[in-house]
Amino acid sequence: MAEVVTFPSREPVDFVIIGSGAAGGVMAKELSTAGHSVVLLEQGPYLQAGDFKHDEWGYKHNGDLVWGRRQGHPQSFRKTENDEAVEREVCLGYAHNVGGSSVHFSGNFWRFRPIDFNEASVLGPISGTTFADWPISYDELEPYYTRVDWEVGVSGLQGAWDPPRSRDYPCPPMPVKSSGVILERAGKLLGYNPYPAPVAILSQPHNGRPACIHCGFCNGFGCEVNAKSSSMATMIPLALASGNCELRTSATVSRINTDERGRANEVVYWDASGVQQAQRANAVVLCANGAETPRLLLLSESELFPDGLANTSGMVGRNLMFNGWSSAEGLFDEPINGHKSIPTTRVIHDFYSIDPSLGFYGGGGIDSRHSSDGLPMGSALGSGRFGGPRWGSEYKKLLQEEFTRTVAFHGHTTSLPQASNTVTLDPNLRDKWGRPALRTTYADHPDDISTMQFFQDRSVELLDVAGAIKINRIPIDGQEGNVHILGTCRMGNDPDNSVIDRFNRSHDVPNLFMCDGSSLVTGGRGQPTMTIMALAFRAADYIIGAARRNEI
Amino acid sequence: MERKLSRRAFLRVSSDAARRSCFVLSMPMILSACRRGGEAAINEEEFLNLSEEEVVEYSAIAARIIPTDETPGATEAGVIYFIDQVLGQDREQERLILQEGLKELQTATSLKFSGVYFHELGELQQDQLLHEIEDTEFFGTIRYLTIAGMFSSPEYRGNRDNIGFDLLGFEGRHAWAPPYGYYDADYAEKGE
Repeated sequence: MAEVVTFPSREPVDFVIIGSGAAGGVMAKELSTAGHSVVLLEQGPYLQAGDFKHDEWGYKHNGDLVWGRRQGHPQSFRKTENDEAVEREVCLGYAHNVGGSSVHFSGNFWRFRPIDFNEASVLGPISGTTFADWPISYDELEPYYTRVDWEVGVSGLQGAWDPPRSRDYPCPPMPVKSSGVILERAGKLLGYNPYPAPVAILSQPHNGRPACIHCGFCNGFGCEVNAKSSSMATMIPLALASGNCELRTSATVSRINTDERGRANEVVYWDASGVQQAQRANAVVLCANGAETPRLLLLSESELFPDGLANTSGMVGRNLMFNGWSSAEGLFDEPINGHKSIPTTRVIHDFYSIDPSLGFYGGGGIDSRHSSDGLPMGSALGSGRFGGPRWGSEYKKLLQEEFTRTVAFHGHTTSLPQASNTVTLDPNLRDKWGRPALRTTYADHPDDISTMQFFQDRSVELLDVAGAIKINRIPIDGQEGNVHILGTCRMGNDPDNSVIDRFNRSHDVPNLFMCDGSSLVTGGRGQPTMTIMALAFRAADYIIGAARRNEI
Repeated sequence: MERKLSRRAFLRVSSDAARRSCFVLSMPMILSACRRGGEAAINEEEFLNLSEEEVVEYSAIAARIIPTDETPGATEAGVIYFIDQVLGQDREQERLILQEGLKELQTATSLKFSGVYFHELGELQQDQLLHEIEDTEFFGTIRYLTIAGMFSSPEYRGNRDNIGFDLLGFEGRHAWAPPYGYYDADYAEKGE
């Protein structure tokens, strides 16, 4: 291991990277191992495998990883800009720690498919939306998906169901669970093509990390053995070992400053003891996620950039997408034990694009899981899900049958970009640092709702064919928050309606790059993390080349 | 009517968790600790935030949400200790909801049954009152905290002896190997 490097804050480093999550971790590893000096700022702590616990209350209900009001970070929500925003514990959820949400996510790792990149021109415009093609194609991103497969670590089975890939998965698929068997058998009866879910969890040792031990605490938790391929477990150690990357944790950025020419030259932040610091930089890479990246740009307004940094298009914070979600749960005769091993082992992608003649736009995938991520408290809070009392002796009996014998088929679906769905600064609510809180304005597009309904209908059919003795539909009533926070600094060729160019460079500020969920032009069909990482590898390649050519 | 909380009621609630855990634990050491019974349990484990009145009243409600029948319930799992602990952790809002809701419940208690305290009512009377407030924020909050105390990690002072986990069929192991359930065992045997 290289010695821990420290950089003086008054001397510019090559790059300050803000955020160490899925994209920031990749960016830090790539830029530092290419020889650039990097200061990596992360607002949370550096939690590692030994720090994580099977603690549902702490992680899922107390905000230990996903900070909220109790940690001094309230948020607010409203459906439309005409509504009064209401304070929320959490609305846009992301983990505050080194590795960001790649630490606590489920590990579902679907590549986007060719259609995701040019769907707007295939289908034509959709009213009320900013539906658009990406400025890049699947083929351009494919080599970087393959790098994610191998450098980050993905388990799966190559087959006809896959989008085109230049290399096989590095690890075979994870062992199938009962929930996966139920979906697979039902799917085949209905003529679909279920296949092993690709996951960023190791089925066998890879790159010096061990295989999964199937403890069951993936979604919402940090992996205790480093089998989950978070950027914390895979990229950060390589960045630190380069000797070129200084990681500063508990560093909360307040703004990005620019010089008189409008180039980013300094990042201002509070350090762990609450003292304001400023790190000078030759370039800044903002990887703070789809919520914090636009927030920081809006907070960085100045005389030169009165509407927020890099926002001459007015698109910073707009086009917020979540991914649609719907679910149906089924009760079965025999134990399924969804609390053991990873969240999901089988997926059906036969409805990647819904037949347009149905009258609405959409598509997605169905996977099979435990109704409440295999968690005792979550399951008990929902018990009585198939009808019956919510407390008392009868309820207690339901608790006993539901936990081990319930499966949920989830639909993970499209979310149309709309300019009216936004992340903005709340004028009335502040966080513990005095910064305006994140305000979310969001309403699902009617087509998104129709798509969720379509997928729930398919899930119900599948559960029925599978022999569920009771079935419950989770109500579909419009999303008011999510953990997929996408599209808020969209990529595009036209500086008038996009924030970054095809290589993640700000149209307005040449030495400022944005790379994270905010870059996405469309949201795919759920599971955006792999695409975020692939974009980071691709942007890093470009940045390294541009730096070499002295073009930053 | 006189509002006087019986010391005995408080002792009963706060020591139940310790005493009843004898049923699920067999270690002689713990058995002898349980036999010390009563007051010792309070001394060993103080309540940090709740008043005595809150302890007995919330305990009585929790005991109707997850009752003790053939299997242990909220009382044996020590749910009240969990509630006591987490209400002290920046949950003023929930604390207020509980305190105000309890006052209303006690008012209903005296109007309907001319008693003072909810915990002094019989189970049928208690259930009747709780059914009437099922949709209130108060009931939602105490139900949430009861379930949380039943099924969260024992480090938060509830779910004693994994009573909650056992009830569900959740076994908190750190490693599993296939087969995980009936259907994947069947799949391994028969294939598709």
